[in-house]
Amino acid sequence: MDLRAGDSWGMLACLCTVLWHLPAVPALNRTGDPGPGPSIQKTYDLTRYLEHQLRSLAGTYLNYLGPPFNEPDFNPPRLGAETLPRATVNLEVWRSLNDKLRLTQNYEAYSHLLCYLRGLNRQAATAELRRSLAHFCTSLQGLLGSIAGVMAALGYPLPQPLPGTEPIWSPGPAPSDFLQKMDDFWLLKELQTWLWRSAKDFNRLKKKMQPPAAAVTLHLEAHGF
Amino acid sequence: MALFAVFQTAFALALLSLRTCQSEVLDEYLPLAPQSLNVSINATLQHLRLQWIVHQLPYQELQMVFPIEISRIETSKVIWTGNYSTTVKKNQVLHWSWESELPLECATHFVRIKSIANDARFPQLNFVSNWSSWEEVPAPTPGDSQWLIFPRSKLVEEGANVTFCYNSETNHNISCYLGDELIHREQLDSNLYTFQLTNVPFINIYGITIACWENNRIDGAVLFVSKVLEEPKNFSCQTQDYKTLKCTWDPGVDTALGYNKQPSQHYTLFESISGKKKFCGQKNWCDWEISEDFPKTYNFTLTAENYLRKRTVRSVFDLTDRVHPKAPESVQFKNVGTTNATVTWKMPVLGNYVPLLCHIQLHDKETVRQEHNVSIRVNGEFLFRELQPDTEYMVRIRCIEATHLWKWSEWASQTFLTAEAAPSKALDVWRIVRSDKGLHNVALLWKPLSKFHANGKILFYNIIAQNLDKKSELKRLCIHAPANGTELTLGQGSYQIQVTANNSVGTSPASEIVISGSSENEEVEEERINGTEDGFFISWKPRSGNMTRYVVDWCAHPQSLHCDLQWKHVGPNTTSAIISSDAFRPGIRYNFRIYELSAEKTAYLVERKTGYTQELAPSDSPQVVVRNLTSHSFALSWKAYDTESQSGFIQGYYVCLKSNTTQCHPDSVRVGLPDKSTCCKHDISDPKQKTFLVKNLQPESFYEFSVSSYTSAGEGPNTTFMKVTTPDGRSYMLMQIILPVTLCVLLTAVMCYWKSQWVKEKCYPDIPDPYKSSILSLIKSKENTHLTIMNVKDCIPDAIEVIHKSEGTKAQFPGTEKLFTESDSPKPANLYLLPAEDFSGPAPCISFENFTYNASACDSDSFAHIPVPSTALPNQLGMLASPDNVENTHTNSQEEIPAGEISLNYVSQLASPMSGDKDTLLIDPPEPVLCSEYKMQMAVPSHLASPVPSEMAASLEPF
Repeated sequence: MDLRAGDSWGMLACLCTVLWHLPAVPALNRTGDPGPGPSIQKTYDLTRYLEHQLRSLAGTYLNYLGPPFNEPDFNPPRLGAETLPRATVNLEVWRSLNDKLRLTQNYEAYSHLLCYLRGLNRQAATAELRRSLAHFCTSLQGLLGSIAGVMAALGYPLPQPLPGTEPIWSPGPAPSDFLQKMDDFWLLKELQTWLWRSAKDFNRLKKKMQPPAAAVTLHLEAHGF
Repeated sequence: MALFAVFQTAFALALLSLRTCQSEVLDEYLPLAPQSLNVSINATLQHLRLQWIVHQLPYQELQMVFPIEISRIETSKVIWTGNYSTTVKKNQVLHWSWESELPLECATHFVRIKSIANDARFPQLNFVSNWSSWEEVPAPTPGDSQWLIFPRSKLVEEGANVTFCYNSETNHNISCYLGDELIHREQLDSNLYTFQLTNVPFINIYGITIACWENNRIDGAVLFVSKVLEEPKNFSCQTQDYKTLKCTWDPGVDTALGYNKQPSQHYTLFESISGKKKFCGQKNWCDWEISEDFPKTYNFTLTAENYLRKRTVRSVFDLTDRVHPKAPESVQFKNVGTTNATVTWKMPVLGNYVPLLCHIQLHDKETVRQEHNVSIRVNGEFLFRELQPDTEYMVRIRCIEATHLWKWSEWASQTFLTAEAAPSKALDVWRIVRSDKGLHNVALLWKPLSKFHANGKILFYNIIAQNLDKKSELKRLCIHAPANGTELTLGQGSYQIQVTANNSVGTSPASEIVISGSSENEEVEEERINGTEDGFFISWKPRSGNMTRYVVDWCAHPQSLHCDLQWKHVGPNTTSAIISSDAFRPGIRYNFRIYELSAEKTAYLVERKTGYTQELAPSDSPQVVVRNLTSHSFALSWKAYDTESQSGFIQGYYVCLKSNTTQCHPDSVRVGLPDKSTCCKHDISDPKQKTFLVKNLQPESFYEFSVSSYTSAGEGPNTTFMKVTTPDGRSYMLMQIILPVTLCVLLTAVMCYWKSQWVKEKCYPDIPDPYKSSILSLIKSKENTHLTIMNVKDCIPDAIEVIHKSEGTKAQFPGTEKLFTESDSPKPANLYLLPAEDFSGPAPCISFENFTYNASACDSDSFAHIPVPSTALPNQLGMLASPDNVENTHTNSQEEIPAGEISLNYVSQLASPMSGDKDTLLIDPPEPVLCSEYKMQMAVPSHLASPVPSEMAASLEPF
């Protein structure tokens, strides 16, 4: 994103406007029947929290993997991580997703990612890393429950895993240690991307649940890993 | 069908029998060649694993050698040859591995083998087989593999060298990186490239990644580097109960790696005598059950193992040598008294009453007081003696198996407190006595008893003061602890003071001291001593007589309000003492008094010492006063320092004088000052001299001076200079003259006033009253009855004529011509008083009875005209007009009145300064007033006037 001085002023003005309207946002200031709004807001907040938590965890873990995985400009082709749910999607496709499909994809993605993450935890060779991974898994489980709560509030059924497509509890042994490291790398990367996408998803949902006049959307940009 | 089967079976048996017979015959000739050679790859370890068998072994076992050849890429390129020697058993499958430096996946390998029977036991079996055919171990076909480099992963120990390779036939533009460094490659064959990592370090448990890129394709390998497995240290086994052996060791570093590449090393305990083996779940200890019929000797081998290495340590021991008793239990005390106590304890059961040796320590708070060894079986008991009363002791007990003394048990400890007893020692008492108006103010001090002598908590001190002259006079005091002194006021006479310390059990022996009735001998001269950092060495002259010891006392803090009196006892035969104290500080003067203590406990001051542990330079300068300031000198004076405030013995003073002159007095030297100025420094080496005369100064000059003292350690500060300016010399001299003169005048005036009557009589006698004069009767009776006394009021002149006295006047006074001609008569104007024109008749004449002059009566129609001394007139006229004016006026008047026509001149006795005004004088004649000055005593005719004595004329000369 190319930012110029004028843009900075514009962003500042936008931010001021957001802060000015913040008390009037119904999703944050509703009384009576709360509806799915608070659940969506909580889910959104949880994704932001998990983003922050993952940033720390990924830094530690990638340092264990060593170069080149912990190098900031390391951007390898996706090898051997085909089973991981992809977060990247065409913008038009993403826009055309309805709420149910949007929530379903999130739910399925995190179900899979949580599975892989638990496998990662079992392989971790240090107690410190195991603790960090276990803590993150717990948080991710919370996110999964939160998404399920939103879906229930909106009256959507939880997706049932199709026979044969149910993810195995842990990914099988990689053909080589290098590919194993690559899988770990991609797992963390996809997880990060999914958290960014979820933030946008829930922000969009949140916006839809609010009256249009008071709706304020904070656009989040996904940066490089 | 059945017949056919039977026939077939019979044929087979016949054939078998034939083959058996045949083989027995050919045994001697068939080579024992390796059969069924199978070659496989262990990719993890990069091993070529060979497996084969030797058929038809003629004996149960046979010593054989197997030469092996390994080729790479093609059979002709043999890269390794070697022999494998082993004892081959019948039907044994033989294994052998070869570790390839180059990854086996990089190139096709070929292996062949043959055998040599070379057993000394069977010399007849000496043969060499042929080589087997080449067994090919194919490398992965490039087309089938998506991998670029090999090995895919490798586990090595720290410091190893590792070779990676790739086939360039299909991978053309491959670049491999270690971190961000491109790895240098070597070409091994036309399509085979290798690169080597040497002396690889341990980085982390997740290994080192080698990443290879080919265009947009990536592959890599992970090199897992394990730390080198260490040999277990301090491996030993022991039992505490003859049931379990506990073996412990120090495991060293953990060699676990990530991705389950290598777990932590595991430990195995193997006992070779029993042949039992136990996998130890813990990394640093392992329990081994002792069977009931336990063997006496154990031979343990501890093996540490990971994927790369094994390490073993051994320990052989007899079980009875490795008995480590548990800590004693139930440590208790009984019969605890003031000096005795009994301790009891119990040992956990150890087999069948194994004899034990127990070590007992008795501690107080400071150190170990007693140590004992006691042999026991199960229960122990020991009596402690010679304990201190009221002391907390800690008892520690540990035991060891008495026969082999392998290892002491842990300590078991318990504390107890002995009972209190009466204090065992008299107090160390001293005093300070101040006599005042016949009373003794006694500050009584004592040192608290040590815990060793107090034998309990001291509750109070009893003091009894008894007058030795009046035995009945007794004072009792009770001072509560923790006081360590009190003050007593005692009357005249000698007093014996007894002090005792008391605890809850009893009283200490009394400490006695006698206060003498006579005052302390303060005239003992003080002697200076030099101290050191360690203290003072004080010696004194030996004293003879009935004395028991010496006491040296001093103030630990002499400059503080509470001097903190200290004292030290010295034996009677000792005449010196070393006084040391942590309280001693440099620059503080300490005063020591040495007393002898008589047999009657009376202290007599015998010597006094004073000194410093270290003298310091004075910290301040004396307060100087300037006295006797003159134009050429001034004196300086200052007061002596307070002795206690001196930081060293004052050895003298420096007077530093700054002046504009470049020369210093011969007694002084010029020294530089910190501000780069200089001064003349005078050294006053006598510390008793407190004055200094600064002389040879210039008047009206500016001087600065400072006075500083010095000790052996140096000079005090002389930064404060006082300023002096010498006064002017003339004014000083003037003061010297004026002052005495003024005093003399004042003295004279006082004298005059005192003798005023006398002076008046001498200088200004009372004017005689002519009416009362005796001459009046004489005149009346003898000569002229017309003569009367002239009343001054009747002599009012009509006019005043002022006549200028000229040369011509000489002829008018023939009788006096000679006299006035010869004399140097004054020229100033004479004042003549002329009668008024209407004045007629005889005028009364004044006649005095004055024997100083020859007074005579004057004619009524003539006036004596005599010159008047001008002593008064010039002055009086001077107030009115200049003499010239006066002269002119007189000249005019003289022209109108011819000379010689006037026969009588009257000198007025009423001449008043107030009537001196010329105009007023002429126009308004003054009223006659009483004369304030009397010049002539009587009016006389001119011819009768006596000539003026020359002395008088001279005195009339004007100034």
